[in-house]
Amino acid sequence: MNELALTAAFILMLFFFLGSGVWVALSLLGVSAIGMMLFTTRPVGDAMATTVWAASSSWSLAALPLFIWMGEILFRTKLSENLFKGLTPFMQRLPGGLLHVNIAGSAIFAAISGSSAATVATVGKMSIPELRRREYPEKMIIGTLAGAGTLGLLIPPSITLIIYGVTVNESIAKLFIAGIIPGITLALLFMGYTAIWAMTRGHKGDADARRYSWAEKARALALLLPVILLIAAVMGSIYTGIATATEAAVLGVVGALIISAVQKSLSWDSFRESLLGATRTSAMIAFILAGSAFLSLAMGFTGLPRALAEWIVTLEMTPITLIAALTVFYIVLGCFLDGISAIVLTMAVIEPLVRASGFDMIWFGIYLMIVVEMAQITPPIGFNLFVLQGMTSRDMGFIARAALPLFAIMVLMVALLVLVPELATFLPDAMKERP
Amino acid sequence: MSLPVPPMAAFLKTADRWLDRLYGFCGALAALLLVALAGLIVTSILARLGDFYISGLNDYAGYTLAGTSFLAFAYTFREKGHIRVAILLTNVPPRFRMALQIWCLIVASVFSGWFAYFIVKLAYVSFLLGDKSESADATPLWIPQSLMAFGAVVLAICVVHNAVKFLIVRDETQVPGAQIGSGEA
Repeated sequence: MNELALTAAFILMLFFFLGSGVWVALSLLGVSAIGMMLFTTRPVGDAMATTVWAASSSWSLAALPLFIWMGEILFRTKLSENLFKGLTPFMQRLPGGLLHVNIAGSAIFAAISGSSAATVATVGKMSIPELRRREYPEKMIIGTLAGAGTLGLLIPPSITLIIYGVTVNESIAKLFIAGIIPGITLALLFMGYTAIWAMTRGHKGDADARRYSWAEKARALALLLPVILLIAAVMGSIYTGIATATEAAVLGVVGALIISAVQKSLSWDSFRESLLGATRTSAMIAFILAGSAFLSLAMGFTGLPRALAEWIVTLEMTPITLIAALTVFYIVLGCFLDGISAIVLTMAVIEPLVRASGFDMIWFGIYLMIVVEMAQITPPIGFNLFVLQGMTSRDMGFIARAALPLFAIMVLMVALLVLVPELATFLPDAMKERP
Repeated sequence: MSLPVPPMAAFLKTADRWLDRLYGFCGALAALLLVALAGLIVTSILARLGDFYISGLNDYAGYTLAGTSFLAFAYTFREKGHIRVAILLTNVPPRFRMALQIWCLIVASVFSGWFAYFIVKLAYVSFLLGDKSESADATPLWIPQSLMAFGAVVLAICVVHNAVKFLIVRDETQVPGAQIGSGEA
């Protein structure tokens, strides 16, 4: 089979260029061009330009830079400190004490930033020194932070969900709403694990534990409230159909600027830095998305996606077998690629397969987020592990071992999502969406 | 820089400085377009609330988005913002890493040059044919597309610039584009 050999050459070439360190977006563009030349006589460059233009100027993509900007603004407020101070009175008497601050803090920050490395860095900046001082075991401090940091991909508004939505042409609003329940469930599973650990290992509780008065609790809540209200407003406006995802993103930016101004963190410098940071991150992602749109086109000419989809259908695999196989595939892939690249690279081939097997694409998106999250805490390439290595100066092996139980919980979460798909599909089915 | 002919070295240094300014300028322009994008969407929300209609707002938002992305490409490249797979680069001996970096920069120069050529061609063909947006606003497409073409050309210049500079100085620390960022979103 000549076609098959060419297709194999195409895919090998892609991994060769990526693996040698050529920038991801440029690899996607260049390799797709070479691949397309192998399979068709059409003018490759013109097809590329048209595809890239269409992919880069699509209105639904506008939510992406705006949500990134919102996160960049809030990132420069006193968020890290406020999360710690605000959550402490409510968490310290739970079994496992302030370890829960790592998890709840990450869950809240995840809603703001959608980047798991930023989540780990922001929450950990305050909590690592505090928890060390209070003599929590290092393994649990690092483990909970590594695990909960991954919530950034799942809890909306998530940048990675936007990327998935744009890549497979599904509603970003629906994906966001679908992420809510699984995100909260996963956070609760992490907290449950921490509580069980504390009770079975006889953890003595927080070294500084004391009773907080109602007034103190109210003040603590006031620290968290602005950010929680902002998230609620953003998600609520999407859920009720008042706003599209893009419009909600602007609401988020305006709200973030107001919070930043009220907390006196807003200066010309912080504004400029947040704007430039958002510009860079959005450009990076937009370039990859442009490349991946062209890869999808080129991949279509190879006939591989269709052939693979037909082949999988003839195998008559049960959905559970297919999901198990895909889970292993993504975890292995995640050992070498970051989450965004793993998604855009595979969707060109996996999307037809998943559709042909009859999966709900919204459900699949949520599943994919959890699997890609798992890859963030597996060595050798796990971005959360790198961030934690920088913050704690522990070796990679120790950090990876600390994260292992949390990895197991995420496997459990995938199983839950397969057994109870309504976790992801119930809310989006019930929502009113703005066209 | 250790070049034998001093005037040449002086010229390269000046070119290097001005090119860096160009990328920074494009980055600033891209940031302004991001603010404009937010402004356009606020306008469309207000238009809906106030029940009046401005034609083509969604299309303008799309064009602005493409503009902000493309204008920022070169600036992001210089700031180590574009991600690359670093597993091989960080785990090989220095000499091999040097060769690998040269390979990456040359490949990237070729790819980005090819990319820029066809994006420019797209804008030029739109201009020749007088292509217009399909929706009510009927914007001539070459206007937003030339912004995109400009960004793609500056990116190609930036990649080639960094490649040439790396070949001359052979030192990653002095060539921002060659460095590995912490790239992750």
